[in-house]
Amino acid sequence: MSDLSTKLQEALDVKTMFTIHLFGLDIAITESIVVSWMIMAALVLLSIFLTRNMKIDHISKRQAVAETIVIKLRSFIEGMIGHEGKAYVPYLITILLYIGLSNLIGLIGFKPPTKDLNVTAALAIMSIVLIQAAGIHKKGLRGWRKSFSEPVALVTPLNILEIIIKPLSLCMRLFGNILGAFVIMELIKAIIPVGVPLIFSAYFDIFDGLIQAYVFVFLTSLFIKEAIE
Amino acid sequence: MTTLIAVGAGIAVLSGIGAGIGIGIATAKATEAVARQPEAESKIMKLLAFGCALSEATAIYGFVIGLLIIIFLK
Repeated sequence: MSDLSTKLQEALDVKTMFTIHLFGLDIAITESIVVSWMIMAALVLLSIFLTRNMKIDHISKRQAVAETIVIKLRSFIEGMIGHEGKAYVPYLITILLYIGLSNLIGLIGFKPPTKDLNVTAALAIMSIVLIQAAGIHKKGLRGWRKSFSEPVALVTPLNILEIIIKPLSLCMRLFGNILGAFVIMELIKAIIPVGVPLIFSAYFDIFDGLIQAYVFVFLTSLFIKEAIE
Repeated sequence: MTTLIAVGAGIAVLSGIGAGIGIGIATAKATEAVARQPEAESKIMKLLAFGCALSEATAIYGFVIGLLIIIFLK
C-alpha cells in the first residue's frame, strides 16, 4: 500500500527538467512546459505541412484535407459562439486543439500538461481576459462598467465576484478531470497491469480528455457570447 | 491524525452525490425531450453537455479538495 502511495506521489509531482539562467533569474522549466512545447511544435509543423503551396483551383489532396479540417472546426465553434463572435473563432480553435492534444498525449507515455494546475490556471486567465476584453470591445468602457449592475444594481457584487469564479471553475474543472483520470489510470495500472487498463484508457484518456477540451471551449465561447450580447 | 485526514477526504468526496443526482436528472430530461422532439436533438445535446459540465464541477471540486487535504495535511 505504501508502495502504491509513493508511486502515486511520484506521478503527481511536476518535475523540473532544467533551469534557465536569464538576467540573474532562475527560471525553472518544468515537464509540462516541455511537453507543451512538443505539442506546439507538432501543431505548427502540421499546419505548415498542410498549408504549403495553396492554390485556388486544382487543389491537392493535402489542401483538401486542410480545408475540410478548417471548415469543420470553424462551423463547429461558430455554432457555439454565434455569428456575432466570429472574430474569436481562431483563438477558440487553437485552444481546442491544444487542450485536446495535451489530454491525449498521455496515450504515448508523456504526462499531460493539463495535469499541472499552473497550465490550466494560465488557460483560464487567458479566457477571462479575453471575455472581459470582448465585452469592452463590444460595449465600450462605460457600457462594460454598466453591464456589471444589470439587470438590477443589487447583483453588482455577484457580477464582480463572477470575474474570479469563472476562471477558477474553468481551471479547476479541467485540472480535476485530467488529474482524476490520471490517478485512476495509475491505480488501475498498478493493480492489474495487463489488458484491463486498455478498456479504461479508452474512456479516461480519449473520451474524457476530448469532452473536457470541448467543455472548456464551450464554456469560454458561452461566456464571450454573454459578454458581447 | 491519519485517520482524521482520511475521514476528511472521504467527506469531501461526498460532493459527488450532488453531481450524480444532477447529471442523472439532466440526462433523464434530455432523453425525454429528444423522444418528444427528435428534430431538436443537436440543440438539446449542446444544453445537456453544458448542464453536465456545470453539475459535474461540484464532484470535481470535492475531488480536488480531498486531494489537497491528503497532500497538504500529511
